[in-house]
Amino acid sequence: MSAMLRKVSIVLAILALVTMIAACGGTSGSSSNGNVAAIIKGLDNPFFQAMQQGIQDESRALSTTVTVQAATSITDTTGQADKLQALAGQNYACYVVNPISGTNLVQPLVPISQAGKPIINIDNPISPQAAQSAGLKISTYIGTDNISAGKMAAAEMAKLLPNGGTVALIGGIAGDVTSQARLTGFQQGLPSNIHVIQTVAANWDRQTALTDAGNILRANPDLSGFFVANDDMALGVGRAISDAGKQGQVKVVSVDGIQDALKAIQTGTLSATVSQYPYTIGAMGMEACKAAMEGKTLPTSVTAPVLVVTQANATQALASFPKPFASYNDPFTSLIGK
Amino acid sequence: MSRIATTGQTGQSQAAATLRQLREPAFWADWTAAVALIILVIVFGIGSSTFLSWGNIQAILVAAAILVMLSVGQAFVILTAGIDLSVASALTLGSVVLGQAYSHGWNMVLACVLAILAGIAVGVVNGLVIAKAKITDFIVTLGTLSAAAGVALILSNGEPVTIISSFLLRLATGSVGPIPYFVIVAAVVAIVAHIVLFHTRFGTHLLATGGDPEAARAMGINTDRVKIAAYTISGFLAGLASILLAARIGAAEPAADTTFLLNSVAAVVLGGVSLFGGRGNIIGPVVGALLLTALVNGLTLLGVSQFYQQLAIGIIVVLAAMLMRYQR
Repeated sequence: MSAMLRKVSIVLAILALVTMIAACGGTSGSSSNGNVAAIIKGLDNPFFQAMQQGIQDESRALSTTVTVQAATSITDTTGQADKLQALAGQNYACYVVNPISGTNLVQPLVPISQAGKPIINIDNPISPQAAQSAGLKISTYIGTDNISAGKMAAAEMAKLLPNGGTVALIGGIAGDVTSQARLTGFQQGLPSNIHVIQTVAANWDRQTALTDAGNILRANPDLSGFFVANDDMALGVGRAISDAGKQGQVKVVSVDGIQDALKAIQTGTLSATVSQYPYTIGAMGMEACKAAMEGKTLPTSVTAPVLVVTQANATQALASFPKPFASYNDPFTSLIGK
Repeated sequence: MSRIATTGQTGQSQAAATLRQLREPAFWADWTAAVALIILVIVFGIGSSTFLSWGNIQAILVAAAILVMLSVGQAFVILTAGIDLSVASALTLGSVVLGQAYSHGWNMVLACVLAILAGIAVGVVNGLVIAKAKITDFIVTLGTLSAAAGVALILSNGEPVTIISSFLLRLATGSVGPIPYFVIVAAVVAIVAHIVLFHTRFGTHLLATGGDPEAARAMGINTDRVKIAAYTISGFLAGLASILLAARIGAAEPAADTTFLLNSVAAVVLGGVSLFGGRGNIIGPVVGALLLTALVNGLTLLGVSQFYQQLAIGIIVVLAAMLMRYQR
């Protein structure tokens, strides 16, 4: 046999072997295994670590089993889709999805929706047009309205700068829906005596935000404040401000409510944050799955709690972290008879 | 691979020759990716009852399609002793061009053609600067990586564009019988690439250019044109892959993902293609791409957390690289 033929026959032998194993390999049963699968964004951000914790804690409380898979990073759209596709083949009873973009999980969700499995969309909404054109049935959406979060941040900035001033905006990945909504909401909520002088996109990255903030401060020494689209970046901005020796003089308001940000508000490095509760969003997602698996009809969309944390209530917020420090409405508790 | 004289061989000594070859570490090193894939299939097959289900194998093949195409393009470049770091941005630029064209009401076919042309443009720029201006491929393609990413951001104004097209949806989810369209496209690319590389004069010139450029030039081969062609092929395949990418995630996203770039190089090297050029084939990189995709899929099915997945991938790639030390 020539070397070429030998190689080809080796490849064919491998293929035959795999096919044989596949033939007597596992068959996916028609009845589900009663477990829940959750796919969330990258764990490189503590926001999603809290979300994962919320999902897992609630799953234990409800005596269900959950598998949580996360994307490799906040930009890993195809990787997240690949992971969901792998999970779709494993026949879970319910799927909790937090997509990186409005469309990247639409294609892997098609077979899940066709099999009639409940799909709980949390935090980042799936694009309604894409869902409609692919024929997806989303059972419910649980999240916070990022536009109103931005407006709440603007109201807080107005309180911090009663005599007006100039602010710079630091967004996440350019064009990201969440980032866009927060920035838009902030600008809508600003009083007329506060002006936005610059907007930059720092890719949700603390390091990038630090560098950008430093540059903006040097170019605009009279800057009064920053609005930052998430806490991770805000911590970078806070560092840039203290490096410039202006701690306390330049206000920083952000969104998310991660633990380090709450601590930074206590010490005065950051001024305020609009706290979303990823832990609660994740937990409510689990509750929604439990309700769906029991055959209950779910509300189309549920708003998760949002609270503003300032130096006045930072200690209280930290004490109850990762849960909200005020009461909130949870429609799922009555559905599952808690 | 060592060629043993085959004139007048009896069946017995042929078998002995094959066995002798199996004992040589060089044989296994050439087939690193295949060996690793088989081990992986066995381990994951035992560990998870769904890994070897037809649905999951389909999922792996579909997920691997884009990487396979990028790896084939990368293989052409690496075979000329070059490297193409710009594939990630060419991929992004192609999908952005597609998204912009389609969202401005242009025909989907035209938008796809433009995406491919965008990829070719990046490849031609790479090829011309590397071959004619004689600048190192590493630096040039690093530069085009950044430049193409910038063009993509400018064209899209930094915003992702949702692409809702029944054609792309069918491309992403449809199949001919049990074989998804994605897999067919990737398979056709691999087969055509193999034929070009081993059954055309251009392929021979390509291998010669990478193996020994001086000798190739002495034989009358225009190594400059061969190199330009190699980078153009890589760009073309990135443009073609961008159509599949847009179909898969339903949008044109301006943020380039360097995972594809690193994986394309890893797939090619694990597939037995020498970074020094002139030595290798197409099936190796294809198996390498399948290996990397199956690895993530299997670890996900086994419920391995994200952090351990990255550790596992790193260890396996290094182990495979150690095996490749035995390559001649």
